[in-house]
Amino acid sequence: MALLEVNDLKTYFQTDDGIVKAVDGVSFSVEKGKTLGIVGESGSGKSVTCLTIMGLNDRKNTITSGEALFNGENLLTTGTRRLREIRGNDIAMIFQDPMTSLNPVHSIGTQLIEAVQLHRDVSKKGARARALELLKAVGIPRAERRIEDYPHQFSGGMRQRVMIAMALVNDPDLLIADEPTTALDVTTQAQIMSLINKLQEDFGSAIIVITHDLGVVAEAADDVLVMYAARVAEQAPVNKLFKRPHHPYTWGLLGSLPRLDADLERLVQIPGQPPSLLRPPSGCRFHPRCPYVMDKCKTVEPPLVPISDDQEHLQACHLDEETKDREAQKLLEATMAQAI
Amino acid sequence: MAEDLLVVNDVKKHFPVTRGIIFQKQIGAVKAVDGVSFSVKAGETLGIVGESGCGKSTLARCIMRLFDITDGEIVFDGRDISKLSRADMRPIRRELMMIFQDPYASLNPRKRVGQIVGEALEVHKLGSAGETKRRVQELLEVVGLNPEHYNRFPHEFSGGQRQRIGVARALAINPKLIVCDEPVSALDVSVQAQILNLLEDLQEDFGLTYIFIAHDLNVVRHISDRVMVMYLGKIAELAEKHELYDRPKHPYTGALLSAVPIADPERGRARQPIVLEGDVPSPLNPPAACNFHPRCPRFQAGHCDVEDPPLYPFGDGHVAACHYPLERWPLSTDEFRKPGTAGPPAEPSVVG
Repeated sequence: MALLEVNDLKTYFQTDDGIVKAVDGVSFSVEKGKTLGIVGESGSGKSVTCLTIMGLNDRKNTITSGEALFNGENLLTTGTRRLREIRGNDIAMIFQDPMTSLNPVHSIGTQLIEAVQLHRDVSKKGARARALELLKAVGIPRAERRIEDYPHQFSGGMRQRVMIAMALVNDPDLLIADEPTTALDVTTQAQIMSLINKLQEDFGSAIIVITHDLGVVAEAADDVLVMYAARVAEQAPVNKLFKRPHHPYTWGLLGSLPRLDADLERLVQIPGQPPSLLRPPSGCRFHPRCPYVMDKCKTVEPPLVPISDDQEHLQACHLDEETKDREAQKLLEATMAQAI
Repeated sequence: MAEDLLVVNDVKKHFPVTRGIIFQKQIGAVKAVDGVSFSVKAGETLGIVGESGCGKSTLARCIMRLFDITDGEIVFDGRDISKLSRADMRPIRRELMMIFQDPYASLNPRKRVGQIVGEALEVHKLGSAGETKRRVQELLEVVGLNPEHYNRFPHEFSGGQRQRIGVARALAINPKLIVCDEPVSALDVSVQAQILNLLEDLQEDFGLTYIFIAHDLNVVRHISDRVMVMYLGKIAELAEKHELYDRPKHPYTGALLSAVPIADPERGRARQPIVLEGDVPSPLNPPAACNFHPRCPRFQAGHCDVEDPPLYPFGDGHVAACHYPLERWPLSTDEFRKPGTAGPPAEPSVVG
């Protein structure tokens, strides 16, 4: 059984302008010790998916359906109290912005100790020892001294390390990292990603990485979910997704990426803007921006189905496989031909 | 060979750090830019990369004369502009424009698009109201926006469209040099590609010269002709882009390159990234001599921390400030550490 199994998850927000379907029928599963990468543009629903699983959406204006089974327990119907037990203990989350997700008026020691004591029956001294141990594990130099420091005394990369330490306090089975490196420089990003990988090896946790950086996904994920306008466009093991992408949106994403390893005359651009989720386009949601659009795409929504010779590789597009193979090959040649 | 449009000569920008409220005493200086020299040829794109706090944005603002520089000279189109008065600077501002990072913060929310784009035309008194309007609509079309959006407010546009407005504003008075300070960092990849393509088209059509600042090495590689790597207010390496990306000489450049994730699972994972220890030190109290030495895997005690490395030439305008440049590329982590046996110093001076 998968550690986390999400089935037909839907999250609708009620707003003054109408209902925003932020997540509209998303299914996936994560195994223990594996990393799932969720990619997509801003507003594609990748963050909301994870917030829904964690039960962190505003209850008043949110309509949620589907199920999110964590060790067999449906998180969407669990009571608030039980959810609080799970959050921070079994599932932990790292947020994008380490500047705003730490409390500026408490020392990081206090914040870490609070996280330990919420879930464990230990003395303050024991909690402090645990906090110190974690700060060392995430590579904070002179941890004994720095535990008394306040968030503003840390650099961005260090704050993100503190966030990771806090997430790891109770050895979570599942770690959700929402754009963990977006606010950081490349060298710091490399430090944080190698730290997350190392911790996964040590603790065997499952990880969900949400990012818009295909490079991060390529290097860190085992499986990838490509989201577009609140739905899954393509889902595949990482090698297959990059070697034989099947959805025109994935082609667009890969083609629009400037690369370190190839000279591209001109970037492929996906025309237009992501659609409004208040009134998503009919049929396939990508059709107004898709260069391969057919009449069928405008009316019939393509289901997420496996490709003919591979049950693991799911995609939602009406195009025939021959065209897809050809186009995927073309894209690959354009980027690979000039690889160093 | 094209002429140098901009020559930056040993430019320094130090921000004073003071103590006391009434009797302010200077107790130090943040050396944001500390002795930077380079030139930009007409029609080329110079990319500037570096981590946050390396002084790349300060340098951009110095070139634009938004900051008065502490020392050095900036020669634009054959004329030293570093000490010109505001009035003398005015006509030159027509030829120097800037595109900013955050398309949400760099457009005045209370002005209409037409006013924003046309403001420079009004300031420099170029044409009547009718002509300005026509020119603005023409510009909106050039950058791929609907000319009918003339009367809209910035909040009615998405991030990518706003950045297009920023580009139109920069183009309004036919500048020669556009300084782009992280123009695509806040955008999604697909929109980023649109803006990068637009900038390239405009360069071709109008013969523009760009200084393109970014922290994304992929983006810089794509758009630049030459690339300059900065570290703590100084130039670490400067070279033609293929030269820099294929044969980096400075260990910092090497570490940056190896840290960039590659969007190809097989090749990406086959690499051995060279992970740098620690953070960028504070520019208030930079390390002595080579400012990279506390983090450098090639650190040689008694040399790197004593003698400041000059920009050694490596042919074809390739320069790098390192006493022990990389022999070849790529290198494994062990080879990277050579020559000698010394690792990084025991207690890296992390300021945090």
